Amino acid sequence: MKRIRWGVVLGYIILVIFAIITVFPFIYMILGGLMSFQETTSIPPTIIPKHFEWGNYAKVFAQAPFARYFFNTFVTASITTIVSLFNSLLGAFAMVNLQFKGKRFIQIILLSLLMVPGEAIIFTNYNTIARMGLLNTYIGLVLPFLTSIFYMYYLQSYFGSISSTIYKAAMIDGASDWEYIWKILVPMSKGGLFTVGLLSFISGWNSFLWPLLVTNEDSMRLLNNGLSAFASDAGSETQLQLAAATLTVLPILILYLIFRKQIIRGVVRNDLKG
Amino acid sequence: MGNDKFVEVKNLKKVYNNGHEAIKDVSFSVKKGDLVCLLGPSGCGKTTILNILAGLLSPTSGDILFDGKSVVKTAPKDRHIGYVFQNYSLYPHMSVLKNVMFPLVVGKNKKPKAEAKKIAEKYMKLAQISDLADQRPHNLSGGQQQRVAIARALVGEPKILLMDEPLSNLDARLRLKIREEIRSLVKEVGITTLFVTHDQEEALSIGDKIILFNDGVIQQDDLGQNFYLKPNNYFVANFVGNPVINNFKVKKDDGKIKAKDFEINVDDLDQDRFKREIPDGDYILSVRPENILPDENGGLPVHVDDIELIGRERILKFEHDGKQARSLVDLEAPIKVGDDIKLKMRLDRIFLFTPDGERVY
Amino acid sequence: MKTNQKKAWLFLAPTIIFVTFFSIYPILRAFVMSFQSGSLINLSWSGLSNYQYLFKDPEFWLAIKNTALYALISVPIGLAISILLAWIIFSKVKHKSFFETTFFMPYVTSTIAIGIVFRYIFNGDYGLLNFVLRCLHLPAPIWIDDPSMSLTTIIIFGIWTSLAFNIVILMGALRNIDPNFYTVADMYGASGAEKFWRITMPELIPTLAFLLTMNIIGAFKVYTSVYALFNGQAGVGNSGTTAVFYIYNKFQIVGTPGVAMAATVVLFLIILFITFLQRKMMKKIGEN
Repeated sequence: MKRIRWGVVLGYIILVIFAIITVFPFIYMILGGLMSFQETTSIPPTIIPKHFEWGNYAKVFAQAPFARYFFNTFVTASITTIVSLFNSLLGAFAMVNLQFKGKRFIQIILLSLLMVPGEAIIFTNYNTIARMGLLNTYIGLVLPFLTSIFYMYYLQSYFGSISSTIYKAAMIDGASDWEYIWKILVPMSKGGLFTVGLLSFISGWNSFLWPLLVTNEDSMRLLNNGLSAFASDAGSETQLQLAAATLTVLPILILYLIFRKQIIRGVVRNDLKG
Repeated sequence: MGNDKFVEVKNLKKVYNNGHEAIKDVSFSVKKGDLVCLLGPSGCGKTTILNILAGLLSPTSGDILFDGKSVVKTAPKDRHIGYVFQNYSLYPHMSVLKNVMFPLVVGKNKKPKAEAKKIAEKYMKLAQISDLADQRPHNLSGGQQQRVAIARALVGEPKILLMDEPLSNLDARLRLKIREEIRSLVKEVGITTLFVTHDQEEALSIGDKIILFNDGVIQQDDLGQNFYLKPNNYFVANFVGNPVINNFKVKKDDGKIKAKDFEINVDDLDQDRFKREIPDGDYILSVRPENILPDENGGLPVHVDDIELIGRERILKFEHDGKQARSLVDLEAPIKVGDDIKLKMRLDRIFLFTPDGERVY
Repeated sequence: MKTNQKKAWLFLAPTIIFVTFFSIYPILRAFVMSFQSGSLINLSWSGLSNYQYLFKDPEFWLAIKNTALYALISVPIGLAISILLAWIIFSKVKHKSFFETTFFMPYVTSTIAIGIVFRYIFNGDYGLLNFVLRCLHLPAPIWIDDPSMSLTTIIIFGIWTSLAFNIVILMGALRNIDPNFYTVADMYGASGAEKFWRITMPELIPTLAFLLTMNIIGAFKVYTSVYALFNGQAGVGNSGTTAVFYIYNKFQIVGTPGVAMAATVVLFLIILFITFLQRKMMKKIGEN
């Protein structure tokens, strides 16, 4: 008869409780989005709706251009991801592989900029974008985010773990820097680049404050802002709000469940050096 | 004339940003087709010189000429050299074939893929790795990776091959085998080779000549046997030779050279070997273990503390003036630990150094 | 090599250009603007008047107080829970990656969306939470609509969202501890608690320092979660107003960007100060 290890049992109990606390809001969101209005305000609260009101989603799409929000968000998240990945890649390469005067100076400046909270500069950036006449445009939405010091720093540490003699070997073999980057560095760093791209895309997908400042036309809104606008417009129609919320969350959740290993590894790796 | 100085280094100097003088004033030349070993302890500057020759580092001053042309301002990829790194630096995401082909498919003189493949296969055959073409580097043993590195270094048909301690990461047996293969390979291809190592035995074995460095300065630039028979200074005498040379503190007083337990008449020495007149004073007398042997009429009485067996010979260990010294005898000499014996030196094989290391005899 | 100079700047050019325009310039501009007043198009120098206004503005103090309380309460609690959960996952259970995946979910999802669900669950009348509380005969406060509960609700939400990042980072750090430490401890018969306090916690100190810094900085910038919980407001009657809410308000709505920038500078200095304090404290703990 195996002795029951109370420590382990207790541990599981605590974990399961918190796991439920963590996951339950998502499940509730999905289920709530399929309820009727009465069910959402019933006491005792309904957990599983009697009928799945798929019509809620139709109503959501009718009341607010969620398809458009999706599109906008996809476009802006993709652009910022691709461009900032490209820029961070080049910058990190220069910092790791090239010797030049002023490198330390740049490193210090970039490091200190990392500590500045985005909220401190977001308002001035709004002003700049406004003055350039780029409010309510895709360019305005993406412009300040086409480089990421954070990701460049992350790639620097990733590239830094590659032996420096690989670059030297490529130099002697006759490769130009550009050839080195695309034929050697990038293929060798697929993991790190993918993680950065994924994290960048997710954060772009979930952005809120910046688009709030820079767009007020419904057609240019991103998902998060569209959702919050919808929520305030939908007033008490909680079931519609939850359906809209599910719409926002589901694609990322699916992405997450597929790439969870990569995502988690990327977050851990870049912060362990902190 | 051009072939005598196919690689020429003139007054090379390298000072790093923190003030460290890695290379103080180095000049040497290499004959075309020779395999020259750059030898020295860690930190002596030999790898720095190799990197400057490759263009991976810029010298503070001085010149480098390949076949008469100055290359000190040329980029590595335009110097037409091959380089084998200590850790091989194979591209991990490419197969062996792709690794070897790489120099041919990048840069200004790209070749079409089919042609590059043919040339790569030729050099892979030379390096005996044809059967590994589709393998990835991490699947290969150290020795195999090394051959791939060599094939990749040669595939561009460079004029000069630079090798940075290519054998250090291999085990002892493999090292002996591969260093001979390297020598025969570069001789077959006929390429001028500079080979950096810290292993003096390795250098003596494969080098056409050896350049010994210490502290950023050339200590001796010579044929291998001269390091043994005619060392330039104390450092050279101590660096080359296994087991290490014995050093005794002596004093020259009048016509005698006196150590703690023995004495030598200056007249008994070979007068032609004196480099100059030496005044009375302190010196160091160095003699190799194989040149100080047991002899009934020997002038140095010692007590055998220990005997070490090294295959075909034995090392007698004894103490003199507080320091351990050695005598190399053959296997069958009837001497045991604890014996008190007398040793005799071959006076035409000893060396005398000033305390600064200058050799005077 | 000298040629590296040109190449390097070329590769760094896009980053440098964007960083100059969208990071360095805004900081300088914000600083300068904090000494100016008027509307955005018509700014004039006004010395320290914005700062003086700030220090007399009760709304500013409320925002700072809320933000500070939020940071100083939610961060330690969230971190403690995270350590507990990470430790349990790491040392007591199998299925580690299942739990890790589960707990990390909130990090990748939109705060607004989660806020909407929480707003629903925390609803005073028909929310699930109060239903359960009432069933257990526990007090069921009006989480969302009662101004005195605003901060509490925000704190609870903040703790919930902070677990994800913390747990995953801690798991990574735990994995990096040399397992031989525990093997040796087991040989000496150390109990679970002893192993935790004498081996695990000291090894985790750099990670904890890092997490504390990240969490506190993030907490001081809290905005989106409040927006989500209260549907665009900062709590009923601004009871849950935070520093960034204040800044946004002054900038966009009231139209006094100078004041907003002054508040931004103050916020930034507070963050800097607290980070500095916290790092010093951690260093001291580390040395013991």
